[in-house]
This record gives sequence, C-alpha cells and structure tokens, in this order.
Amino acid sequence: MQGDGSEGADEDEWGGFGEDDEEEQDSTTVVAQAEHGGSNNKSKPPTGQELRAIQDASLLYRSNSFKLQIDALLPNVRPKGSQKSPLDHFLMTLHTFLRSLPSIPAQHPLLAYKSLGKQGVAVPYTLPFPTRETKWKVTFEKPTDITLVGSWANKISVKGKDDKHFGVDIAVEMPESLFQEKDYLDGRFFFKRSYYLATIAAAIQDEKSALNVEVFYEAALNDPRLTTIVLRPHKDDSQSDFSNLHAQVRIIPVLPSPSPIPFHRLSPSHTNIRTSSDDPAETQLSTPLYNTTLLLSSLPKADLLTNHKLKEISPAFQDAVMLLRVWANQRGYGEGSQLCVRGFEGKGFWWAALLGLLILGEEPSSTGKTNVRQKPLGRGLSSYQLFKAALYFLSRHEFSKSAIFVKSSEGHTFPPEEYVHHHSAVFVDSSSRVNILANVPLGSLELLRHDARKTLEILDHPTSTSDDPFTQVFLREQRHLSTRFDVVLRVELSRAKLSSSVASSSELDHGSSDNALLSSLSTVLHHGLGNRTQAVVLLHPSSEVRLISEVYPSRLTSIYVGLIYDSDHAFRLVDHGPSVEDQDSEEAKQFRNFWGEKAELRRFKDGRITESVVWEVKTSDERAHIPSMVVRHLLGRHFSLVNEDIQTWQAQFDSSLHFPDSVLDLHESSRGSTGFKAAISAFDNIVKGLKALDDQLPLALLNVSPVSEYLRYTSTFSPLPIPASSSLALPEPLRYLPPMDIILEFEKSAKWPDDLRAIQKMKLAFFESIATVIMKAMGGVKATVVVGETSTKTSAIQDQASLEIMTPQGWAFSARIWHDREATLLDRIINDKPRNRKVGQITDVEHNPELHEARQAKELYTRRFIHAPQHHRAINNLCHRFTAFAGTVRLVKRWLASHWLLQCHVSEEAVEIICAHIFLSSDGVGTSVTDASACVPRSKERGFALVVEYLKEWEWENPLFVPLYSTKDSIVSTKPTGAVVSASSRGVWFISTEQDTEGRVWTAGGPDLIVARRIRSLAVATWDFLCGIENSSGFTVKDLFIHPTVHYDIIIELNSSVLPRYFQNVVADPGVWSRKNVSQGSDMGTVVRPGFDPARLFFNDLARTYGETLKFFYDPYGGNRIGAVWIPTLKNPRLFRVLGGFSSIPNKKENEKAKDKGLVVLNERAVLDEIERLGAGLIERIVLQNS
Amino acid sequence: MNTLPITVSGFTVLPVTYQKSTHIIYARPHAVSKSAKSKNRNLPDGRTLFLVNVPPDASEREISLLFKSCGTVERVVFDHSPEEELRNEESDSDSEVAEEDVEIQDAEGQPEEQPRKKRKVSKEKQPKAPTVTPLSTTQLRTLRNTGGCAHVIFLDSSALDKAISGPIKPKSWPTSEEPRGLTHYMALHDSCRPPLDTVRAHADSAIELYDYEQAKNKQQAAYRKGEAVVDEDGFTLVTRGGAYGQTLGGGVGVANKKFQETGKMNNRKKKEGKEKESFYAFQKAEKQRKAIVDIKKNWEADKARIEKLKESRKYKPY
Repeated sequence: MQGDGSEGADEDEWGGFGEDDEEEQDSTTVVAQAEHGGSNNKSKPPTGQELRAIQDASLLYRSNSFKLQIDALLPNVRPKGSQKSPLDHFLMTLHTFLRSLPSIPAQHPLLAYKSLGKQGVAVPYTLPFPTRETKWKVTFEKPTDITLVGSWANKISVKGKDDKHFGVDIAVEMPESLFQEKDYLDGRFFFKRSYYLATIAAAIQDEKSALNVEVFYEAALNDPRLTTIVLRPHKDDSQSDFSNLHAQVRIIPVLPSPSPIPFHRLSPSHTNIRTSSDDPAETQLSTPLYNTTLLLSSLPKADLLTNHKLKEISPAFQDAVMLLRVWANQRGYGEGSQLCVRGFEGKGFWWAALLGLLILGEEPSSTGKTNVRQKPLGRGLSSYQLFKAALYFLSRHEFSKSAIFVKSSEGHTFPPEEYVHHHSAVFVDSSSRVNILANVPLGSLELLRHDARKTLEILDHPTSTSDDPFTQVFLREQRHLSTRFDVVLRVELSRAKLSSSVASSSELDHGSSDNALLSSLSTVLHHGLGNRTQAVVLLHPSSEVRLISEVYPSRLTSIYVGLIYDSDHAFRLVDHGPSVEDQDSEEAKQFRNFWGEKAELRRFKDGRITESVVWEVKTSDERAHIPSMVVRHLLGRHFSLVNEDIQTWQAQFDSSLHFPDSVLDLHESSRGSTGFKAAISAFDNIVKGLKALDDQLPLALLNVSPVSEYLRYTSTFSPLPIPASSSLALPEPLRYLPPMDIILEFEKSAKWPDDLRAIQKMKLAFFESIATVIMKAMGGVKATVVVGETSTKTSAIQDQASLEIMTPQGWAFSARIWHDREATLLDRIINDKPRNRKVGQITDVEHNPELHEARQAKELYTRRFIHAPQHHRAINNLCHRFTAFAGTVRLVKRWLASHWLLQCHVSEEAVEIICAHIFLSSDGVGTSVTDASACVPRSKERGFALVVEYLKEWEWENPLFVPLYSTKDSIVSTKPTGAVVSASSRGVWFISTEQDTEGRVWTAGGPDLIVARRIRSLAVATWDFLCGIENSSGFTVKDLFIHPTVHYDIIIELNSSVLPRYFQNVVADPGVWSRKNVSQGSDMGTVVRPGFDPARLFFNDLARTYGETLKFFYDPYGGNRIGAVWIPTLKNPRLFRVLGGFSSIPNKKENEKAKDKGLVVLNERAVLDEIERLGAGLIERIVLQNS
Repeated sequence: MNTLPITVSGFTVLPVTYQKSTHIIYARPHAVSKSAKSKNRNLPDGRTLFLVNVPPDASEREISLLFKSCGTVERVVFDHSPEEELRNEESDSDSEVAEEDVEIQDAEGQPEEQPRKKRKVSKEKQPKAPTVTPLSTTQLRTLRNTGGCAHVIFLDSSALDKAISGPIKPKSWPTSEEPRGLTHYMALHDSCRPPLDTVRAHADSAIELYDYEQAKNKQQAAYRKGEAVVDEDGFTLVTRGGAYGQTLGGGVGVANKKFQETGKMNNRKKKEGKEKESFYAFQKAEKQRKAIVDIKKNWEADKARIEKLKESRKYKPY
C-alpha cells in the first residue's frame, strides 16, 4: 500500500518533534490507526477513537479533506526532525564558546572601531555617530545568559519563502555591568550593542573558535539598530554540520533582566536623541521608533515565555501559527528575495503575537469606548479555526482607527494614548512595552486586511470556484504584483530626497535614511490618495545578509508601489480641500503645502468655493490613470523625483488598444463622434427608425436586440465610424468598417411558409421591403440585402441572408430576422426521423446528409438567435457592474488575437465568458459580487494578468462553470458534473453557463487539443513575461503582443496595402498607408465595402480547403501574416486512397521491391503553389521555415 | 520527376506542372456498378473519367482545358462528398433514396444551385413551373476541399483512352477567366449584395415556385383518406395515423414511436411491495453500522485522494 508507506514517513517527522507534545502524537496515532484499520479490513466498523478523530476532522476543520490537506502541508514547512542533532551539537559548542569569551577592557568607541577593523570586522554603529568628544566607553564581557528563543525554541518555525533558511534565534544576554542608566540616550545603548555584536562576530570568525561557520551581519529593514549575527554552517560533514537542516543561527544581543535601563524613559512620547543643534523646537520631537527599537532588545525572552504559555493554553496554537505564517509567506508578508510587503521583515513573532491576542484577549485601554473589544477565543479551537479567527480579525480591524493592546499580566506599562499619538498603527504585545507594528506602514496593513478579506471570501464561498480552496489559500504563491495590484509603479530611489526640514530628525528616529524616506513616502502617498485606494503598498526585496566587514547594508535602489483601487473613488477628478472661509487656517496651509502648485481655489457648481486639486483628463483611458497621476505628482513634489524615475505600464497597455495617431489623423477629417457611446446611440437611432416604419412593413417589429461586441463595450478597438463619403478618400489599409450585428424579431404570423427553404426566401423578400422603406424614411441611410455566402458549404435551410444598413454617420449594421418557426421545423427533421424512413430501413444517422444539415442549421440557429442575444445582455450588464471588465476583455482579446488565436480558434464570446469568470469567481452567487468584493480586479491590467494566470492553470478537462446570467443561489445546484469529450467534437473547452449547461455553444468549434495546449503554453510564457515587471526595469508591454513565428512551418506574408484592416495591426507600419502607397490601393474600385476583410475570407477558405493538411493561425486584427503548421499525421507515406483528403504525390521508391505498394506522400510544394494561386493579389510571398 | 510511377492502385498518374512544383491528379475510367447504373445516368459509362486530387480551385473550364489535347469535354461533375463514388464502387447493396437529389445538387456546383435545382426538378415533372430569377450572374470560383474528386465526361470514349493511356507528359495547369485571390473576394463581396430589384424578383419567384410545388404536392400526395398504400408485392404499408388521425388500411395497431426507434417494449415496472426499512432491531443496528462504516469510507477516500496529491508533491507550498 502506497499510502501506508508515506504515512510511516510522516510519522517519523512527527516523531522527530516529539518530546513534549503528547496530544499531537495522540491524534496522529489515531489517524494512523484509522487508516491501518481501514486498509486492512474495509467493512470493519471503526473504533470509537477513530470515529472521534474523523468526527473532529469534519467538525473542527472545514472538511475532512481540508484537515487531511493541512496535515499533509505542515510537515513540508517544518524543519526535518531527523536532521536536528547536528544543530543541537553545534548549539552546545556555541554555548560553550560564547561563555568562554574573554572580557575586553573599556575603550573609546572610535578606538574600538579601529581595533576591530584591523581584524576585518566592522562595528555597525548607528546614527548619530559617536565623536571624539564622546565621554562613554564600550566594553565586552561574556554573556550572562544564552537562551534559545523565538520560533525554533517553541517549534513553530516555518520554512521561509525563496529558499530562506530556518532561523534559530539565540538570545545573548549582555551583562548588566556594561550599561549605565543613561544609556537610553543618543543611541548609546546601540553603540554598546553594536560593539558587543562585533566582538562576538570577530571571535566566531577567528579561526581559533573552530566553529567552522560563515559569519554575517543582518539587519531587518536594513536598520542598523536591529543588526544581528547570522551563522551559516560550512559543509564539512562534521558532527555539528547542520547544513542539511537548511537553518541558520542568529545571535541577538538582549538586555539583561531586570533591565539596567529604566523602561519608563522609553515610552513613545519620550525624546531620547538630543541633536546638537540648539533649536529648542527640534529637540522637542519625540523618538517613538528609537524607543521601540530599544525596547525590542528586551523582548525575545518575554516572547518565548508568552508563546510557551500560549502553547500550553491552546494545543492548536503551534499549527495555527504555522498555517498563518505559510499564508503570510505566500503573500509576501515576511522575508524573501522577491518583492515583499514592506514592514514585515523580521516580524515573525508578530504572527504568534496576533494569535496570542485572539487567545488571551485584549487589555482594556483606559480611553474607554470598549464596545468592540476582542474577547478571548475558546481554547479548544482547532488550528484551522484559530487561523480563520486570525483572518477574521485582520479583515475586520482597522489599524488606522484603533489601537490594540494584548492582554498583559501587569496592565499597561505606558499610557495607551501615547502610542496612539506617536504611531500610525498600534499593536502592543503582551509584555505591554513594545508596539510591534511601530515601523509597519499603514498601507501594508491595509493590504493585509485586503488579503484576509479575499481569503475569507474564498473560504466562505467554496461552491463557486472549481479550484480547491486549500490550494488558493496555502499553496499558491500570491505575491505577483500584476495580479495583486490594480496599478504598479516602479520608483527609482537614487534621486529621491527628503525635504530637509524633517530629514535629519526623522533619519535619527528611523535609524537609516532609507527607512526615513520610505516611511515618509508611504505616509505622503497614503494621505494623498485617501479613499481612492484600499491599500497603498511599498514593496521591495527583504534585506540580505552582508559580510561582517561591511558597516552598513546596501541601500535600496528602487521600490515598487502597488495600489488597490476603491472603484467608487479611485477615478475622482477633484480632491477637495478646506473651503474659502478657512483660507488662512492651518489646514488650508497644509493642503496647499501638500499639493503644491496643483492646489487652487475653485468655485464648484454647487456654489462651494474650496481649495481643490483638479486632475485633468482627456479620455476615459486617462481617467483610469488618475491614481498614478496623483502618485507621480506627490513623489515629484515631496521627494523631487522626476517622471523618468517613476515607471508605470498603464499607458503601454492602453496603446495596445488604440490606433496609431496617423490613423486617427486620417480619420479625423470625417469623424463625427466615435466610441462605444456613439455606436450605441447610432444603434438606438436605427431601432427608432425601424420602429417608426411599423405600418409600412408587413409584420410589426417586436424587438431589436444588439448582438455585437461593439455594442457591449468589449470590442478590442473602440468603434470608429467611416461615412461612405469619406471611405473612398481613405487609403485602403484604413477602410475596414465592422458591421454590427443586430437581430430583428417580428410578431408571430401565419403568413410564413411552412418550409425551411421557403422561409429563407421569405426573409429575402422581407429584407428587400425593409431596405426600400428605410431608405425612403431615413435620409442618407443606405441599405443592402446581403444574400448568404453561396459557397458549397452553406445549406439552403439555414439562416443566411442579412440586411446591411449604413448610416450617414458611417456606422454599419447587419440585421438578421429571427423566426422561431425555424426551430420547430428543424427539430421536426432532427427528431422525427423514423417516420420519414421506410419501416425497417436502418440508416446510419451520421451519414444522413439531410439530418446532418438540419443539425448544423439548428446549431447555428440556437447560437445566433437564442444564445447570442442573451450573452450580449449578460456581458453588457457585467460591463456596467465592473469598471474594469470591458477593459480586461479588450486586452485579452487583443492578446489572443495578436498571438493568432482569436476568432480563428477561440470565439470572442468564449473569451468574454472566461473574463467574466475572473470577475465572478470570487463567489458563486452572482448578485453579491460587486465591485467591492476583494477578489475583483479594478483595473484592466490586473484583470488581464488574472486571466492569463487562469489560462495558465486551467485544466480544461474540467469544465468551467460561470454564473453569467444568474443571480440566484438555486442555480449553483445545476452546475454540470463534468461532460465527456466526445471524439467527434473539435473543441476541448467546456464553458458552461446557466443557459448552456453543456458548455459547448461557444467552444464547439475550437480550440481543439493542439490549440488548447498552445494557449496554455502561451499563457505560461506571457505569465513569465509579466513577472518580468518585478525583476527588471526593461519591461515593455508591447512585447507581450509580439508573436514569435519560429514554430510555424509556413508563413504566408500578405500584402499589407490591400488589407482594409491593416491599421489594427499591433505593429502597423504607417508607411503602408502614407500617401505614396495609396495609389496602388486605388484599384480596389470605388465601392464602399463595409465589413470587407479579404484576409479573413482567404484565411477561412484556406482553413476549410486545407483543414486536414495544415493548421492555420492568423491575427484577425489586421494581421498581415498567416502561419501554418503541417498536420503531423501526414508526415509519413501512406497508402493511396481515393478519399485521402490531401494533395498527394506518389512516394519516391527507395528500392525496386517497394514498387507496388502504392504509397503516397503529401505533396507539400504543390499545396504551397496552390495556396499562392488562391491568394493571388493578397500574398506577397510564402516563407518556408524549419524545412 | 522520372521517378513517378505510371499507376498507383489502378489509377493513372497525371502530373500537372505548377509554377514551382508538380501536382498529381489520379485518373481512371469511371466504373458504374450495376445497381447504381439506373440512377447514375448522369455519368455515362465508357466516356467518363474519374479524377482524384483535383486542385481545390479547379473550375470546369480549367479541367476542360487540361484535357483539351485528348478530346472535347462535355461537362465536369465535381463531387463535394465523394462518398458516393466509393459507395458505387465498393458496395453494391447500399442504396439510398435521398441520394439522388443530393447528387444532382452537387453536380451543379453553381452559386445559385438551390433555385436551379428546383427548376430542374420541376422541369422534369411539369413544364409549367415558374422559373426563379437568379440572384447573381457573376461567375465565381468555388473552392473545394483539397484532394477532392471529379468526373469528367468526354464527348466520346476515344478521348478517355487518350487521357489515361500512352506516355503521359506533364501538362501545365491552365487558367480560366474566373477571378482569383483578392479580385475573387471583392467580386464575392459584391455578388453577395445584389441590387434590391434583383433580390425582389428572386424572392418573389422563389416563393411563387414554392407555392406552386405546395399545390402540386397536395395533388400528388400518396395518402388519401380511406385508401391503403399497397406496394408491388401486395403488402400494405402500415403507418402511424399521423395527420389523418387514424391508421390507414383499417384497424392494425402500430407500435409506438419508442418501439420503432429502439425495438424495446416499454415494460412498466410493477409496484414492488414496500419493505419496511427500520422495523426490526437488526435493521436499525445495521443501518447505524452502515452509517459509521460510510463515514469511515469517506474518510478513507479523502485520505487516499490527499495521499495521491501528496505524492505529486503538491503540498510543497514553496
């Protein structure tokens, strides 16, 4: 039994943890028993103990499998128990070594610096640096106590992201004799600490120590005051070589207890750095961060004890902390070499403290208003319940509004108000001294809140997503900027400057200039963006270890700023300030100072006159940029960063949906109003016009439904009308005018004939009369009846004719008539077959052409007249409901098109539904998903990234269900259980909705297996490329849309100057339509041809004619190349058959014996020659590749 | 290309030179099987050449030109569903009634095949049928699938021999005047949008034809009230009542539709006596036991699933 084997292995790992957690051992053994019993004898009823274990799993956890998944996960993030003994050995050695360190007599800090410098060890002194005048001395004495602290000691360490080491923290207690009472002043404590640290580092590095480790400095957040020593083993297979454990030992100097430094001097409001300047105003500034950092040195041991107590109180504490940390690590709250959320470095203990808060409850703050206070949780909760409680707390609590004090045994050490006044976020640990969140920017906490909400949404609405919630919550990395933030900005910091007035003091408080800068940056952005965003987050890779010869950590060169919009406010045009009456108030001054020259006094429509900031935008695209405009402005104003220092990618994404300027210029002359609004109003006009004709038409018009992407905001390009008059003046590559499909529904009538063929003819007559009347009634409108394409493939019974209407403004519509009798008649052919047959005659249904024809016609009918209008309405609704939806669809369409997949392989409707899935997936019930839901992207760039991510991972073997229409819970139950891919069908995607339970309407024709795989690999490549945003500054969006053509066997290059759609090409060359080439195109005749797209027609012909020989790919948006690959099954010679279905040539005989086999091979050259002949006038040349 | 064989599987290899390559058309005389003879009078025996792998864009004119040196071509029939050819040659027993219609339709291969077919059908039956005005007069190429077949009917049989026997020299592919490529698509686009009066005339005449045929069909309908349909062997056709509300030919019961389709009787389930499920103590006990075992079974199932995932290293978060 495989299961038994791995279970056994697990047990080993459990066992390694062993000693003191009896309870856990119990539960595993129970589980193990349950399994063993089950595998041996299935029908034997479980024992009571087993039953209890099972029952617990389903009651205390989300579900049985969730519990099992947690059990499977945890061993993977724990250190391997079997590897621990070398570490223990090493720790013993280290302990002895540290205890035996010789004392060093007191010396002047600068002298000490020099003498250690000779050994190649730098002393990481902090700000303000000691000077020659410094009176105090630094000295070293062996530590009074050495304790294993932190997560390792409590067995709650969790594997780090990006292959970071497990941290084994050792608190080294500095002897009391080293310190004086006044050491809290001017960083004196930190100098002594630094020196102490450097001495230890020097001693360990010394060869005599025989510890055989590499010694580094590491400072969380690059704050020199938090410098620690990190020891990593050399691999030497000795007894104490713990390199297999993938751990590192961290030495943290701590204050002795009781502390020689009085804590009451370190409350947040105290000023402990006295700057040399004599300006009294400046010395008044308190130093909350400095104080907090100092207090942190007293924390490790207290923390150890608290966590131990928590472990005792709540048995699931350990597992819960681990779950929480895995969750947090996956989201970048912690260390990592990728981009991490700022502020959470070195804050591993916070997660435990957070759970501590939940378990212990909150210390009532004397400020009163204790109504929404955290009550302690039940102690018997399972790890999952604790985890969820933590998320719930995070999702609810607003750190900016209220402070948190964990229940402490001694009550408040400092008055709670002091924290509130001096820190942005307050979370005071159970020792009641340290505000753990002191240097965490508010924006990061907002993101945390957002993520917690998102995760809860996933956990609470499990039915919707086909994905396993466990994977979503714990296993999937969620750090990627492009799917996480609505807009991402990259900011070069090298030129950033803090305004000098605050710089020096803030630097002293923050410990380093970077920290001061980033903290100020975060505050400014947070204030400036206000309620436009749900979170403003600074991201950068966490600090790395450095050699002990380096005094200071390297500085940050760039950071990323991620914004999550609040869609209600994000695109506000005006920021209001104080009104005119308060012109001279402090508030008004601040406002003007904050916004600089952008602030101005304005009078608004409602009569108010206020200070305000107005963001001027020209287009709706630009409006989506307002938040990043705000960021740019503020960074420029407060940190003298110029535009080149700040990079965004929005404009580049926008430009992929826009026509080049030269195109717009050429269209300009004739242009009336363009865009979706104009298209829709043109449609409304047509409807009005048609309705007005009522008495002149044989039947009354009931309904006109739009079914065009141009009328539902989701076409890649915004609609551009071309009036007939100016069409001819345009160069050929600009002439394409897409007709917009509409469907006419007339009243029921008995006048229709009862025969499918006759109905089609009747439609023609109908169209003809509409055309005649409408041209008379509406001036300037031109109407033409389009008889169906008369190629061999269209059958006479299916709907084929349409009415083409051109308005004088240049909009083209293509109207069809929906006659529901057709369905009945087709059904009659399809279902009632036996009656038409002679009795006893057995005919193969598949080979009955009449039936086949009827089926096809029915399929077309259902798609065109039933599903398309519904789909249109649903998508239209989504566009109104989600601000970013339309943009997302447009980007995804552009992307698929530019990679030669849209339309020819993937229908646009399918794309729209997949995009809708991204927006609706956060929850199965349509109604409750609004823009406010945490999972919903609010910018098209993020939506696009999410779709790419989805396509990358979608296993289309499992059908996708999208609740596109609905709104009711009951619908969820109709979710399809999984369809079977029938061999005959081409498409492999199943995208079902409530109206289409089979999920084939939009995907029956493709993508087939080959294309679906191609889409997946394309998504993977695109995803990797998108991740490039995080790694380099050289990322350009345009490259996303450049299609690599190396893997095609054949590239058919078309003559761009005869393609009316060429201007939509991603890399359209304006030279093609510039004046000199126009003359060549003029032989296209003097007829306006709306919707004329020869490349598409040619492509369709090729795909139909050579469908079994070659697979064709092409960009419908002005593509000037068609790519093709040979179908691999035709590679080998095969027997000649009459119905071979490909152009063959007799195989060249290898020898005489093979003579009469009659083998033939594909005649590739001749096929290409034929293609060239078929595309005469279109094809420039055919390029053979890989031959 | 001297390596080309002369025949492949009984087909003569006819090389056709393209611009840069050689295309191969396979040809053999059309063989008419006995049973198919009666209906395939369109393809006369002896002077019909069967071609395989005709270029997809070949027009009738081009094929005629290709065989000009052999003799005059009467007409060319393109098969867009070449199954018939196979069927005729390989299996004799197969016969389908609906085929004939389709074949004629195929034979036309013209843009306005539908109306013409009607005309033709009606012409055979009654000369007075109204004619349908064609929608478009432009001659356009029809693209067929690659590797398709065609029948070439020569005026006389000597041409057929000439075409497939004797030394065969590669001929170059001729061109006819029908547009290709870009011009073809423009012409196609335009021909799909005929002037309104043409549309009107076409639609009116087509409807007229439809009405006419309706009327004619009514006259000729096989079913008359009270009359049985008897075939030449003297069997009475028994059908479901259908439109006439009762079975023709008097009182014979007809199997229901479901039987006709599946051949299965609709055997109704007899109501089984309800057995009480939790009446006896042992039943209750067993039920409980089963519930517990089920719980465990589910647990085991979940467990197995997770184990499987675990093996695929899925639970390594990073």
